[in-house]
Amino acid sequence: MHWKTRSRLTGWLLGTVTIGFLLFQWAPMFTMFTLSFSGENGGTTFPMNGVSLHWYRNLWEADLFDDFKPPMLRSFLLALACSATTVVLSVCAAQAMRGRFRGNGLYFYLLLLGLMAPGILVGFGFAILTRLLGIEGAWNTTAYVVHVSWALPFGFLTMLAVFNRFDPKLEEAALTLGATRLTAFRRITWPLILPGVIGTALFGFSLSYDEYARTLFTSGSDGTLPLAVMAQLDRQLTPELYAIGTATTAMSLIVISLCAIGFWLRARALRGSPT
Amino acid sequence: MTLADVPVIPQLDLELRHIRKRYGDFVAVNDVSLQVGKGQFICLLGPSGCGKTTTLRCVAGLEEPDAGDILIGGREVTGEPPWKRDIAMMFQDFALFPHMTVAKQVGFGLEMLKKPKAQIAARVAEVLKAFEIGHLAERRPAQLSGGQKQRVALARAMVTEPRILLLDEPIGALDYSLRETVMLELKTLQKRSGISFIWVTHDQNEAFSLGDHVVVMNHARIEQQGRPDEVLSRPRTAFVAGFIQGNNVLEGKAGLVRDGVLEVMTALGTFRVPLLDLAPPAAGSALSFSVRAERLIERPGEDVPNRIALRCITVEYFGAFRRHVLEGAGGTVVKYDQFGALPQSIREGENIVLGWSLDNGVLHRAPPA
Ligand SMILES: Nc1ncnc2c1ncn2[C@@H]1O[C@H](COP(=O)(O)OP(=O)(O)OP(=O)(O)O)[C@@H](O)[C@H]1O
Ligand SMILES: [Mg+2]
Repeated sequence: MHWKTRSRLTGWLLGTVTIGFLLFQWAPMFTMFTLSFSGENGGTTFPMNGVSLHWYRNLWEADLFDDFKPPMLRSFLLALACSATTVVLSVCAAQAMRGRFRGNGLYFYLLLLGLMAPGILVGFGFAILTRLLGIEGAWNTTAYVVHVSWALPFGFLTMLAVFNRFDPKLEEAALTLGATRLTAFRRITWPLILPGVIGTALFGFSLSYDEYARTLFTSGSDGTLPLAVMAQLDRQLTPELYAIGTATTAMSLIVISLCAIGFWLRARALRGSPT
Repeated sequence: MTLADVPVIPQLDLELRHIRKRYGDFVAVNDVSLQVGKGQFICLLGPSGCGKTTTLRCVAGLEEPDAGDILIGGREVTGEPPWKRDIAMMFQDFALFPHMTVAKQVGFGLEMLKKPKAQIAARVAEVLKAFEIGHLAERRPAQLSGGQKQRVALARAMVTEPRILLLDEPIGALDYSLRETVMLELKTLQKRSGISFIWVTHDQNEAFSLGDHVVVMNHARIEQQGRPDEVLSRPRTAFVAGFIQGNNVLEGKAGLVRDGVLEVMTALGTFRVPLLDLAPPAAGSALSFSVRAERLIERPGEDVPNRIALRCITVEYFGAFRRHVLEGAGGTVVKYDQFGALPQSIREGENIVLGWSLDNGVLHRAPPA
C-alpha cells in the first residue's frame, strides 16, 4: 500500500475518533438541553412528557430564579475580575520569562504547580490560612485570589506559547525606528499577541465561572453559581435547573462565537482584503 | 583610555572605540574600533559567527557593549536606548510588521517623531513613489514578494533620513540576478542621500564593489580595514588573504633580510618577499605571505626571482577567467587564474613552472597561529 493511501486511512480513523469524542462531550449537555424543554408534568429524566417552555417561564417568574440571581451575578463578576487579572498577570509573567532572568526555570515549575494541586485541598488549605490570619472569607476577596491562582498557570502557558512564536526582531525594529519600549509594546507586540490574550481571557473567565472545589471553602456566606446549583441539587431536582444550565451554556456559546468571529475578521485583515 | 583623553571629532558620523561584547564566557566582539566619516559606505565583511551582527546591534543600541564607547555624530551614545540614536536598521529578514499596511509601516518612523498626519501621508507617498512601491501602499507584508519586502524595509528605514543606516545582509535573501540591480541602486541612493551605510555581509563581491571602506572581521576582531583596493592588493594577515578569493597563501619560515627583501623558506622552495613597512621577523620564525592567483606568470624568464615547479590537477572555466589548480612539492596547492579570453595554455596533468615578480608577494603581519 502506498504511504499516501495509508495516511488517508489514518485520517479517516482519527476523524471518526474525533467525532466520537465530540459526541461524547456534547451528549450530556444535549440531554440537559432536551429535558429543559419538557412539559409541565415532565420530570428530570426521560421520557419527556411533552414539549414546552414551561420551565423557562417558571424560571423567569418563580422565586427560584431570585435565589439564583445573586450567585449568578457574583459568579459573573468574579469570572470577569479573574479573567482580567489572569490576562494582566500572565502577559507580565510570560514577558518576564522572555527575559530569561535568573531562576526562570524554578519560577516556571512553581507556576505550573498550581495545575497539579487538587482543587478541594487548595481551597481548604487557603481557608485555614485565612482563618489563621483572621481574614473573613468572601467571594470577592479570598475566592477571587484562589480563582486567579487557578487560572493563572493556564493563562501563563498560553501566553508563553504565544510569545514563543513572536519574533522579537519586530519590537527591535520598532525601537530602531524611534519607538520607546512602551510604544513598541502598544503598537507592535500587543496587536500581535491579541489572539493569545483573548484566549487567556476566556480561560480566566470559564475556569472561574464554573469552579466549585476551590470556591466551596473560600467564598464565605455568599456563594457563587456552582455552589447555588449544587445546593439546589441537594434540595430539589426539577427541570428548572436544566433550564438554568441551558441558559448559561447558551450565554457562553454566544461569547465564544463572538470571539471566534473576532478572530476570523482579524485573520482576514492580516491576510489583507483580496484586491 | 577614558573618553576625556580622546578628542571628539564631530565630523565623524560614527566612531567605535574598543567595543567589547561578551555573551557569558564567549566574546562575540573584541576590541573593535572604527571611524566612519560623513556619508560613507562601510562594509563589514567576515565569515559566519565572527560578530558582524553583534557589532551592528551594539551600534543600534539593541545590545549593551561590556566595554568601549560609541559616538554618533560626535555625541556619546553608549548608554542611550535605540530610540534616542540617530540611526535606522534594516534587519536581515526585514522584520516587517505583519499587521500594518506598507504605507503604515513606512510612516511608522515619522509617527514616532510626532509629525502631523498630513505631512506623514505626503512624505510616505513621496518615498513609496521613489522606491517604486506606490502601488503596494495598501498591501500587508504577507502579500509581498521577497524583492518587494526588501524595498519596503528599506523605505521604512530611510523615511526619517537618519544619520546612519545599519543594514544586516540586506540583499542576502534576493536571487542573484536581482542582487546586482539592487546593489547598484543602493549605492546610488547612498551617495545621493548622504546617509552613512554600515552594510554587513559575508559576500566579498558585495563588500569590495560597494564599500568606500571595508572592514574584515574574524573571531570577534577586526583583522584589517581600509579602502577596498588596499585590502584586495595588500591583505595584512593570512586570514584576510585566505578569505579573499584568488589568493595563494604560502606558509614558511623567515630567512635573511637583504635590501628590504625577506627570504622565506617554504615546502615549495625559497622565495623573496618585500618587507615594505613590516619589521624584519626573527630568522626562523613562522610566517606567511600571499600571491594573487592572477599575478602568477607562466614559464617565467630568468629575471623573475620567485619560481615554482607544479603539476596541473584541474582547470575550471568561469567565463571571465580560467582557474588552474596546481600541486607542488609536499602536496601544496596553488591556484593560477588566466584571463578567460586567452586560449588555454596549460592542460590537466601537465608539469609547468610558474613565477611571480618580487613586488607581487605580500608579506603578512601576524604569524600563522
Ligand atoms: N544572544 C546571544 N547569546 C549567546 N551567543 C550569541 C548571542 N548572539 C550571538 N551570539 C554568538 O556570538 C557570535 C557572533 O554572532 P553574530 O550574530 O554577531 O555573528 P555574524 O557575524 O553576524 O554571523 P552571520 O554571518 O552568521 O550572521 C556567534 O558565535 C554567536 O553564536
Ligand atoms: Mg549576522
